[in-house]
Amino acid sequence: MGDSVNINAVLYKPLDIRLEHRDIPKPGKGQVQLRMQKVGICGSDVHYWQHGAIGDFILRAPMVLGHEASGVVSEVGEGVTELKVGDRVAIEPGEPCRCCVHCKSGRYNLCPGMQFCATPPYDGNLARFYCHAADFCYKLPDHVTMEEGALLEPLSVGVHACTRAGVALGNTVLICGAGPIGLVNLVTAKAMGAYKVLVTDVDENRLNAAKSLGADYTVNVAGKSVEDNVKIIVDAIGEVDVSIECSGVESSVHTGVYSTKPGGVLQLVGLGSPFASLPIVNATVREVDIRGTFRYANCYPKALAMVASGKVNVKPLITHRFTLKQTLDAFNTALSKESQSIKVMIDCSGDH
Amino acid sequence: LFTSGGTDFFIVYYCCLYISLILKVNLYSILTYKMGVDDVDNINAVLYKPLDIRLESRPIPQPKPEEVQLRIQKVGICGSDVHYWQTGAIGDFIVKAPMVLGHEASAVVSAVGSDVTSLKIGDRVAIEPGVPCRRCDHCKQGRYNLCPGMQFCATPPYDGNLARYYCHPADFCYKLPDNVSMEEGALLEPLSVAVHACNRAGVRLGHNVLICGAGPIGLVNLLTAKAMGARSVIITDIDEDRLNTALKIGADKALNISGKTVNEVVKAVHDLVEDIDVTIECSGAESAINLGIYCTKSGGVLQLVGLGSAIVQLPIVNATVREVDIRGTFRYVNCYPKALAMVASGKVNVKSLITHRFSLGQTLEAFETAHSKGVGLLKL
Repeated sequence: MGDSVNINAVLYKPLDIRLEHRDIPKPGKGQVQLRMQKVGICGSDVHYWQHGAIGDFILRAPMVLGHEASGVVSEVGEGVTELKVGDRVAIEPGEPCRCCVHCKSGRYNLCPGMQFCATPPYDGNLARFYCHAADFCYKLPDHVTMEEGALLEPLSVGVHACTRAGVALGNTVLICGAGPIGLVNLVTAKAMGAYKVLVTDVDENRLNAAKSLGADYTVNVAGKSVEDNVKIIVDAIGEVDVSIECSGVESSVHTGVYSTKPGGVLQLVGLGSPFASLPIVNATVREVDIRGTFRYANCYPKALAMVASGKVNVKPLITHRFTLKQTLDAFNTALSKESQSIKVMIDCSGDH
Repeated sequence: LFTSGGTDFFIVYYCCLYISLILKVNLYSILTYKMGVDDVDNINAVLYKPLDIRLESRPIPQPKPEEVQLRIQKVGICGSDVHYWQTGAIGDFIVKAPMVLGHEASAVVSAVGSDVTSLKIGDRVAIEPGVPCRRCDHCKQGRYNLCPGMQFCATPPYDGNLARYYCHPADFCYKLPDNVSMEEGALLEPLSVAVHACNRAGVRLGHNVLICGAGPIGLVNLLTAKAMGARSVIITDIDEDRLNTALKIGADKALNISGKTVNEVVKAVHDLVEDIDVTIECSGAESAINLGIYCTKSGGVLQLVGLGSAIVQLPIVNATVREVDIRGTFRYVNCYPKALAMVASGKVNVKSLITHRFSLGQTLEAFETAHSKGVGLLKL
């Protein structure tokens, strides 16, 4: 059944993923050993595969990919009491230093010493076996599937963004971009009580996915000026309380600024070019706050609660499934526009 | 010009190069006007069109039931007053009819409307110059500074209070304790801009604060940040005299950034303090906004007060992935009482900001002084 064979998907250099055996790791103090079950592919995994770097994070040595994962506890390390062998868990992939001022003030996502799965130089968990800090593994209720457990990672990005943006009951929300991140923000905003959510994209298929996940309005912004798009948005939904920008595209950021009401918030999630122009006087004199998002902090429990309560159905986000041995196919699917994939899920259990 | 939402008020301030120029160049002499004690002639300083200020008599206004009538005492000149005088417009606010200038004012109550109980004749007050509609969502949610129906002194089409007599709702007039002078009362207006900016930025005890720009707005932010308990305040400018003034009124460190690259300044700031919790940008210059993002710690705040070019290039990914929030500031809201408390307690000495004094009859000379590059910097 592959119990003793620890295959890992390792990125050696751009465009060079290899499946290789590694020793089964033993859990250290405070850690659990996990039989990996499901691992989703993120845009960042694809980007490292294609380019070998994101910003200042540069691949310099072979690195295991994958960070959106769920597993079953197979061994507990010293001092672990909250989990036992057999527990099904979602894995929050970053372990911070716990000592710096960011960690101590509850913003551990900003920890400079963060060890994050599949961000160089730290290995990810697209493997059969993996060890992780037990307090960053969240036990799944029986009715939450392993796939949903893996989806808690992108969902947490949505929870963090919506929390930072202050999405609240009765709000109107604009979400720019209907890729996976736009979609998790959509379901989260709705779960938080947003009244009307309008989603934009340039791709009709993605907009259809947004509609099926609960978007009240969708707008295809392709081929139109910022001014025209803002008019369409504001005619449909008014100036919004919150805009969540998930594409990183400059014109979309501008659209977000102009579409947001005075005193509202533009939450930036998408990352594009390092430099972008911004209509800064407009944002300043209308007090439209511009806030960034980096991963998440203290969000997994909320994401889990949303899914476990049945309030949010994230299963439709998974469009393609592969096994660990089919990792390269999985990555090619994730990369390809023709596949129209949203979330590609890799099954690491068993021998396949 | 692009407007959003169909409301005229929330309009982009375009092409504020003049404002940034003015803010950088001086305008930081705050000028005051004396009114004669026995005058009953209601002389107003009226802007007819750019470069055309006239002193003219107008009937003495009578207060509505909720208003008080005020014998204006001191009025400061703001960069916006000078800008309207020079160009007749700021963004989409355009002077289309003669408009009385002035909005940084203090006065003595000379008559009260029939519904007024909070003030009486003879009370000395500071005047918060904007009257919101009180009914819209912004007003009801406590952010009346964003009210689309705001009637703000000396923002077209509403008259200001650079006059002998003026009427205003009583609830926007704040009684001054005996130990607060009329000049300090007039200074509560720019000070409130700083109170609002520092509140929005979340400045608090122990913080390290960077202030970009040592003009009057930078200086009032310096005073306020210190009053709020900031541990150290570093201030930057390109003008040595302004930086010296800043040091005299409490800046812990002053950095002359003239001729330096953004990277050099970032390094210089981080050599002084390890972490900047809040940066308050008071110049509007693109390079300063960039600097503000790089200098601020992860999870910190860049508070924008200065207005410059409508569109600027920013290191947006840096701000996003380090969660450096970028927040704007527009005037102030519920700040006058706090500004008054700061001054009345003696915690903050704003008197030093005043460098020139004129009488109402010398209004034109006052404006020319405010505008003139020759005046240079704040001199104590």
